[in-house]
Amino acid sequence: MSWLSRLLPGSGPDLSPEQQASLAAITTRPGPDLGRSHFETRYVVINAESRPMDGGGQRLVGVGAVAINRGLLHPAESFRAELGTAPADALLGLLHFVARAPLVVYNAPFNQGILERGFEQNLGNVPALEWLDLMVIMPSLYPERIAGQARMDAWLGAFGIERLDRHDAVLEALAVAQLHQVALARAKAQGLNTPQDLLESQTSRKWLRGS
Amino acid sequence: MVTTAPDTLIRTNLDFLRRHPPFDRMEPEALHFLGERLATAFYPADSEILMPEDGPPSFFYIVYRGKVQARQVGGVAVTEYATLTLGPGEGFPIGAISAGRPSTNGYIAVEDSYCFQLPAADFLHLQEISPSFQLFCTRYIASLLNQSREQLQIQFSQRAAEQQTMTTPLSSLVKKAPVFVAPGLSTRTALEKMVEAGVGCLAIAGDDDKPVGVLTQSDILKRIVLPGFDLTRPIADVMTAPPHTLGTNASAYDAALEMATHGVRHILVVDTEGTLKGVISERDLFALQRIGLRQIRSSIESAANVQTLQQASQDIRQLALNLLAQGIGAEQLTQFISALNDALTRRIIELNLDRHDLYGVEYAWLAFGSEGRHEQTLSTDQDNGIIYVLPEWADKEPLKLRLLEFARDVNNDLASCGFPLCTGNIMASNPDLCLTIDEWRERFGTWIREPHPEALLNATIFFDFRVLLGDEKLAYKLRHWLLSMTGGNPAFLKAMATNALDVSPPLGKIRDFVTDDDPKYPGTIDLKKFGARLFVDAARVLALRTGVEATSTVQRLRQGGGRIGMPAEELSAMADGFHFIQLLRLRHQHLDTDHGAPGDNRVKPDDLNELDRRILKEAFRQARKIQLRLKLDYQI
Repeated sequence: MSWLSRLLPGSGPDLSPEQQASLAAITTRPGPDLGRSHFETRYVVINAESRPMDGGGQRLVGVGAVAINRGLLHPAESFRAELGTAPADALLGLLHFVARAPLVVYNAPFNQGILERGFEQNLGNVPALEWLDLMVIMPSLYPERIAGQARMDAWLGAFGIERLDRHDAVLEALAVAQLHQVALARAKAQGLNTPQDLLESQTSRKWLRGS
Repeated sequence: MVTTAPDTLIRTNLDFLRRHPPFDRMEPEALHFLGERLATAFYPADSEILMPEDGPPSFFYIVYRGKVQARQVGGVAVTEYATLTLGPGEGFPIGAISAGRPSTNGYIAVEDSYCFQLPAADFLHLQEISPSFQLFCTRYIASLLNQSREQLQIQFSQRAAEQQTMTTPLSSLVKKAPVFVAPGLSTRTALEKMVEAGVGCLAIAGDDDKPVGVLTQSDILKRIVLPGFDLTRPIADVMTAPPHTLGTNASAYDAALEMATHGVRHILVVDTEGTLKGVISERDLFALQRIGLRQIRSSIESAANVQTLQQASQDIRQLALNLLAQGIGAEQLTQFISALNDALTRRIIELNLDRHDLYGVEYAWLAFGSEGRHEQTLSTDQDNGIIYVLPEWADKEPLKLRLLEFARDVNNDLASCGFPLCTGNIMASNPDLCLTIDEWRERFGTWIREPHPEALLNATIFFDFRVLLGDEKLAYKLRHWLLSMTGGNPAFLKAMATNALDVSPPLGKIRDFVTDDDPKYPGTIDLKKFGARLFVDAARVLALRTGVEATSTVQRLRQGGGRIGMPAEELSAMADGFHFIQLLRLRHQHLDTDHGAPGDNRVKPDDLNELDRRILKEAFRQARKIQLRLKLDYQI
C-alpha cells in the first residue's frame, strides 16, 4: 500500500528526483534467496539509535549496521549514519548498505518499529525487508542457557561478548553481530540451515507465545 | 567529523592487538594493515577450525576469545607436545602457512571461541612490511627447528646408546652371521674355511646349530703347527670344548668379565634355545670404549704410523654419529669434524716430514673448498695445495720436486685414511697447485681479470683457502692481496654473483620441491648442489666484496652481511637455513655410511617427516632471499 500512498500528491515527504531514483533502485532490486545456507548468506545486523521526544516516545537519530557475510564479520562491511539534517539521504545510504539482506536485531519491537517509522516519515515508504529478532530466537536455540525472554546483556554475558560502548550504534551492532554468529552455529547444528528456516522458527515461536 | 563504521571496528581490532605480543610491538602501519583485514569468525566448542586434510591453509588465525587446542594428527609426533592450548592473541599455523603446506596439527576450539582470520597472502605480505612480525615468525620457525633437532636426538640416541655403552646386549653387538663347521669336518677343510671367511675364531656346531667347540687363531700355532697335528683328523679332536658361551641378552660388560676371567678373546653368543647366533671378540668390546673426542684427539696426536690414523679416522665418523645423537647442531658438529680432520691431516703431514726433509723451507699446506671453509661433511674428498717461498739462493726445480714428492706421500696417506683422492686432481702433488706466493697471486689475478666460466669455478674452490700446517703468514699475505683485488672490482664481483645465481633453490610453483630430472635418482634433491652451495656461493661474493677474511659461510654471511647493512636477524635466519641443510646432509650421510654405502647428498623430500619438509622449504626460501639480494645489488 505504501507504494500507492507515495504516488498520492502531498501525502509524503518531498524527495528530490535523485532520491526517488535511488529509492526505486533499492526497492525494485530482487531480494536474496532466503533458502540458501547461512554460510552463503549475507546478513545485516542493525542497531537503531534514538532520543526521547518532547511529547513522549522515541525519535530515530542514527543507525549502526554490521554485515555478516558467509559467517564472517569484516570491518569494511559496516555502516553508520546520523539522521541529522539529511535524514532521507542517511536512510537511503542504509538501504543501499543493506541491499535487501535479511536484517538481524535484538528487540524488534523497538528497533524494527522505530526504523520503519523513520522510513515512513523520511522516505514515505517502508521497504519490504525480513527481520530476525535474536531476543525471540536465542531462547529457542540455547534453552539450556536462558529459557525465556531476556535482556541483551544477559545473552552477551552468557557468551562472553563485550559491550564496548552502548552509546555507539556501530559497536552495539557489533555485539549483536557476534551474538548472531553464536546463533548461526547452533541453528546449523539444529538443522535450521537457512534464513528461511530461522524466519519460520521465529514465526512459530511468536505464535506460541501469542505475540 | 563522524567516525566511519569501518574506522570504529578497525579501532576495536587494533585495541585488541595492541594488548598481545607480538602485535604490541608491531610497526603502526603494519598493525593497521592487519587490523583492517581481520575478519571475525565464531567456532562453537569442539568444532574444527583447521585440519591437515584441508590442505595448505587459506588463513592465518588469531584467537580473539576462547581457547583453541592444537592436536597432533597421525602416528608420528613431529613436535615435542601432543597438544597445545592457544588463548587470546595467539596465532596459528605459522609454520604451515609460511611454508604453504598443510598443517601438521589439527586446530579445534575447546570452548566457544572467536578467531580473527587473515588471508594467507596478506599474512605473507605482513611479514614483508613488518620486520618485527617477520622476526617473530622466524623465531617461531627456528623453535620448530630446535624441536626437529630434539626429534633427531631421540631417533639416534637409542642406536647410539646401543653402540656406545657396556650395557649393550650382545644381540646388538653381533654384526654378522657366525662362521661355523661340523665337528666331523677335517681340520684342513676347517682351516681353509677360516681363511676364506677371514675370521680369527671358528665355531664348531652340530646339525642342530648348537655350538660344541671353538678354535681360535692362537690355538693353531700351539695345537696344530708346532705339534705337527694331522690335518686329516676331524676338527673336533683339536677344538676347545666346551666353548665359552653367553646368551643374547647378556651385556657387553658380562662378555668382558667372562673374557677376563677365563683369559679368552672370543665368546660365542647363543639364543635361549642354545643355537649359535654369533661371535663376540675382545676387539668388538674395545671399540665401545675407544670413541670419545679426547681419546681420538690424543690417539691422533700420538699416532706413530698411518695404520693408527686409519683407525682414528673411523672413530671420527663414529664420534660424529654419537654427537649427532646427543643433539649437537650442524654448526658445532662440522666444527668438530673439521677440527679432528685437521688434527689428522696435520699428523699425517708431520709423519711424512720425518721422511722428507723440508728443514728451512718456508711453506704452508693449504686446504681448499669445504675443508677450507671448515664445512666438511663425511663424504668429502681432498682439496689441497702448497704455498712456498723460493729463497734467492735456491734453484726452483729441485725444491719444487722435493715438495711434490712430499705432497704425493701425504695425499696417498690421506687417501688411506678415508679422504679419497680428488678426481679433479686438486691436490698438493699436482705441480700446478704447488706454487710460490707470486705464482698464486698471478693465478688468482688472471681469474679476476678474465672471469670466464672456468676461472669462476676455480675461484669458488681456491679462494676458500686456509692453512693447515706451516707458515700462516704466507696465507695472510695472499688473502690481503686477494681481498684488495676483489673489493674494488665490481665487474669481477658481478661475474661471481652471476655464477652464484646459476642454480636456484628447488622450490616449485605447484609442488613444494623440484626434484632432480636425472632418471637414476628419481624424486631426490642434491642438497649440496641445490642447497648448501647456494649459501656458500652467495656468502663468498659478500666476503670478497666487503673484505671479510673468514672462510666459513656463516662467518662470511654475518660479517659481510653486517657490513652492507643487512639486519642481524635476517642473517641469523639465513645461517639457520644453511645449518639445517648441512644437518640434513650429515644425517643422510651418517645413515648411509653406517650401512656401508657411500654417503651422498641426495635426499628424498618425500622421505622426510612433515616438520623437516617444512623447515627445508623455509631454508630454501632463505637461500632465495640471499640470492635476491645479490640480484638486486648487481642488477642481474
